Amino acid sequence: MKYMIMMFGGAGASMRDRSPEWISGMHALMVGLDAELRESGELVDSRKLMDPSGATTVRFVDSKAVATDGPFAEVKESLAGYWIIESSEERALEVAAKCVDYIEFPMEVRPVMDEPPPATT
Amino acid sequence: MIEANEPVEDLLRDLAPQILAALARQYGQLDACEDATQEALLAALTQWPNDGVPNQPRAWLRTVARRSLVDHWRSESARRQREVRAAGAERVFPAADDEPADGDDTLTLLFMCCHPALSSTAQVALTLRAVGGLTTKEIAGAFLVPEATMAKRITRAKQAIAQSGATFELPPAQELAARQEVVLSVLYLIFNEGYTASSGAQLHRVDLTSEAIRLARLVRRLLPADGEVAGLLALMLLTDARRAARTTADGSLVPLEEQDRSRWDSVAIQEGLALLAETLGRFPVGQYQLQAAVAAVHDEAATAGATDWPQISALYDTLERIAPGPMVTLSRAVALSNVHGPRAGLALLGTLDADDLAARSHRFDAVRAHLLEQAGDSRRARDLYLRAAKATASLPEQRYLQLRASRLAHDQR
Repeated sequence: MKYMIMMFGGAGASMRDRSPEWISGMHALMVGLDAELRESGELVDSRKLMDPSGATTVRFVDSKAVATDGPFAEVKESLAGYWIIESSEERALEVAAKCVDYIEFPMEVRPVMDEPPPATT
Repeated sequence: MIEANEPVEDLLRDLAPQILAALARQYGQLDACEDATQEALLAALTQWPNDGVPNQPRAWLRTVARRSLVDHWRSESARRQREVRAAGAERVFPAADDEPADGDDTLTLLFMCCHPALSSTAQVALTLRAVGGLTTKEIAGAFLVPEATMAKRITRAKQAIAQSGATFELPPAQELAARQEVVLSVLYLIFNEGYTASSGAQLHRVDLTSEAIRLARLVRRLLPADGEVAGLLALMLLTDARRAARTTADGSLVPLEEQDRSRWDSVAIQEGLALLAETLGRFPVGQYQLQAAVAAVHDEAATAGATDWPQISALYDTLERIAPGPMVTLSRAVALSNVHGPRAGLALLGTLDADDLAARSHRFDAVRAHLLEQAGDSRRARDLYLRAAKATASLPEQRYLQLRASRLAHDQR
């Protein structure tokens, strides 16, 4: 099964007041986990999103799509990045726990649906 | 790949654009010619390591590629088949001596890959594939996109060239200079993509920086009388020489002034300096030569403190005259602040405030933050570091800026 492990904007926002040592520690943790997942062959995909202040939300207003500056959810709850790994659920939760222990901000683990491979043209 | 195959692979990558260019000149269809070239390379890769490299590897590849192209046409349709037969043996098996030198063909191929009808991402992909001889999988890996996406991008690019009606020949004289500029910008784009990529995910990435340098060397062989080609190659060598010192083991950025200069590549520096010495003053000056000259001043300084900033400042003044823009002003402000102090740099940046492009660039904020930090204005420096961190698309850069902001906040307490 594939799982998406999601991190949210609140983790990034809390960085403002952290010490340089804490920030370095978090970078090391993330780089280490990323390398570990890549080396083990568990990693399917991993992306970090740019700050939600750069987001635009397109909403359906007065019968048409309208673009407005800002993220859809509150910055705290806005998606900041994700790993998709192929593993047991237990393992996905373990990876998330390693991060949460350090950043003290929640992460979400969710199974990814199976779908047929895209048709090749 | 097996290590013992490396000489064969290097040889094949050198020959690949020549084979493709020769085919494209004769038969036009870039798409089919490229497939045929790949077939020939694959055949060589499976046979040469066992049977040995043939006496005339290029002729061998060309023959196999032609045969593959003919096979392709035969199987494509009955109409095609008739056409090939009608075209006769002289098209399929021309005399070897009726072709121009391979160098010219490779240059034509490069111009075609950097065709103005293509987007810059398409130009980059096609150049790496057709001239660089990289596989689609390798290019996809280098740009972190799925292989199918890159395959599509390359196919679309080839279609766009076919639709533009471009023929396999050098651009007309009146367009040559402009088209050459595009070629150089594509090579520089490839270089920068490799140079600024996050090192964390580099494990399986083809080294775009080395590839850009290899291509620049090739173009330099083809256009030896162009100062900007030499300038670009020198710029790449002098910049890439600092690569090992530019990041720590965990991928964090190390700014120039904090780099361990003993880790710089002195061979690359010497080559870049020699190239620049024989170029400057012999040709009309251009932006790549000037940027290379700046890189040379940095590389020649034994310590950060020994950097000849007045010289760099003068070089940027010249650059601003021939190729003005907010990014040049930004560099000029850094140089100026090192000569006359951070306030002088900030004053120059003040003239950019109205410039929308500059206001939106995170580099502008980052430089201003550095200068404010030097000037002792920690509070405003910190705000700008954080704003720049939010706006950058590079993860190592974001980490560097966050750390910088955090250091300021904690020094204050």
